[in-house]
Amino acid sequence: MFAEESPDWNPDASSSVECELCGEEPATMHLIRVVEGRVSHTHLCPRCAENLAEQTEGLALVLALPTVLRGAKARAETPAFSTSKSREEKLCPVCGTTSSDLRESGLVGCGNCYQVFGEQLEVMVKRDVEMIEHMGKVPLRGPETDSLRHEIMRLERMLRELVAHERYEEAAGVRDRLTELGQRLQGDDE
Amino acid sequence: MKQSTMTASAMVLARNDADHRFPHVEDRDGLEELRSHVTGMLKSDDWGGAWQVYELDDLSAIDLAYLVERGLMTPRFADGLGEGRAFAVYGDGLASLEINGEDHLRLVGFRKGDGLESLWPLLNLLDDRLETAVAYAFDPAWGYLTASPARTGTGLRVYATLHLPALMLTGKLASIGLELVKHGLSMAPLWGGAGGVVQVSNSARQQGPESEVVRLVVDLCAEIVEKERSVRKMLLRENPLQARDQIGRSLGLAQHAWTMTFSEAVNLISAAQVGLEAGMVEAPGLGGQSAFELMTKLQPAHIVVEHMDRKVGCLENTEIDEVRARIMREVFAGACVR
Ligand SMILES: [Zn+2]
Ligand SMILES: [Zn+2]
Repeated sequence: MFAEESPDWNPDASSSVECELCGEEPATMHLIRVVEGRVSHTHLCPRCAENLAEQTEGLALVLALPTVLRGAKARAETPAFSTSKSREEKLCPVCGTTSSDLRESGLVGCGNCYQVFGEQLEVMVKRDVEMIEHMGKVPLRGPETDSLRHEIMRLERMLRELVAHERYEEAAGVRDRLTELGQRLQGDDE
Repeated sequence: MKQSTMTASAMVLARNDADHRFPHVEDRDGLEELRSHVTGMLKSDDWGGAWQVYELDDLSAIDLAYLVERGLMTPRFADGLGEGRAFAVYGDGLASLEINGEDHLRLVGFRKGDGLESLWPLLNLLDDRLETAVAYAFDPAWGYLTASPARTGTGLRVYATLHLPALMLTGKLASIGLELVKHGLSMAPLWGGAGGVVQVSNSARQQGPESEVVRLVVDLCAEIVEKERSVRKMLLRENPLQARDQIGRSLGLAQHAWTMTFSEAVNLISAAQVGLEAGMVEAPGLGGQSAFELMTKLQPAHIVVEHMDRKVGCLENTEIDEVRARIMREVFAGACVR
């Protein structure tokens, strides 16, 4: 009972980001037409989408391009993202997600990723308006409820990831913090 | 027949546990730990048996399809793989919970007809109670954190299913879709677009609290349905013969076919519904059920579960089409164009 986000209805990630009609404006719209059971996809700028939508018969839908694709376009245009990839490659030490993982899957791996990739994510989810601050519901308990044990679990994971990525200097810092927390935990238990 | 604005209403609320990584990167032990913690909590006395918990391994392909068709489970969760997944139904189907899908928790609510305004208070309440056992991943600026950055914020996705055959026929859906995009909403065909049944949902991050997101979807959908009604009136006024012919032919097929695919059935019911709402058709066999309820019951897994004693293991079985045609004949027996 939920419309499926099947591959048919998603644009091909490798296709161009320029409007297919005028070739000038960036394509942010995705026109889907079903003619005699055949599905066609066109990527358009808002102006061309508007013109074409008026003339289209039958089942035709205009969707906004997925944020990941629009983000790709924005990244290409932002100097900060177009510089040397290796230098920009960031890693979330809690879950091991890298900038390229995020680009590829469009998914982040944990809450900490929102700190690590903040800038990149803001570009991805930004609509035509400025960054939206959360204005909805907030948790009753608040986010600051990590117990010592959970903090230790988190740091242990972070340590594994850092070692796996040969970032020993940072790993050493995390290990020291772990030792300290471990002692505190023992102190609490006594 | 009662005319509701929406054919169906649904809502999905995504939440994650701050102490685990999101399901696609979390390891097996972490996911299992979370699964047993959450399911144990749902089964506890605090809830008084309100939740029915299912292990994914215990659900057959037909069971999963039936849950999806009833709006209790999202297709993506049904198709998903991965460790530590579980599923639970609240209050005999008032709501449900997907555990370790794309997010740790997704609360799902579904109603036939209008019901968005009453769904949010229920999901909100269930969410508050779940939060007593799970420390939610939350950031004051981002809101509730989810695996997909597009859902982060309220974590709420609102779905309104609309029956828009006249707008589809006259090619007006594309420009409506375009209008919706400007509001951060999107439109997708349900059931491949059969019968002009589409689903509107909020796709972009929405500003403002949950109730305002719901309000926006409800208001915009009311406008769209108003347009649909006026286009129908125009079509019936300007092409009375063609309209009568089309609707009459649909009834003929419904009454005399011996095998029927789901999308054909949806198209025929859609045409009959247009006739009914225009006062052109009588269909005593339909009873009190809405066109959408009938469409729902004719989905493949519904037929296998409710009419074939689950004796068919595959939803592509041609016998399902025969049973569907029989139900159509029974329902539309005695129906006529006035
Ligand atoms: Zn263009
Ligand atoms: Zn992370």
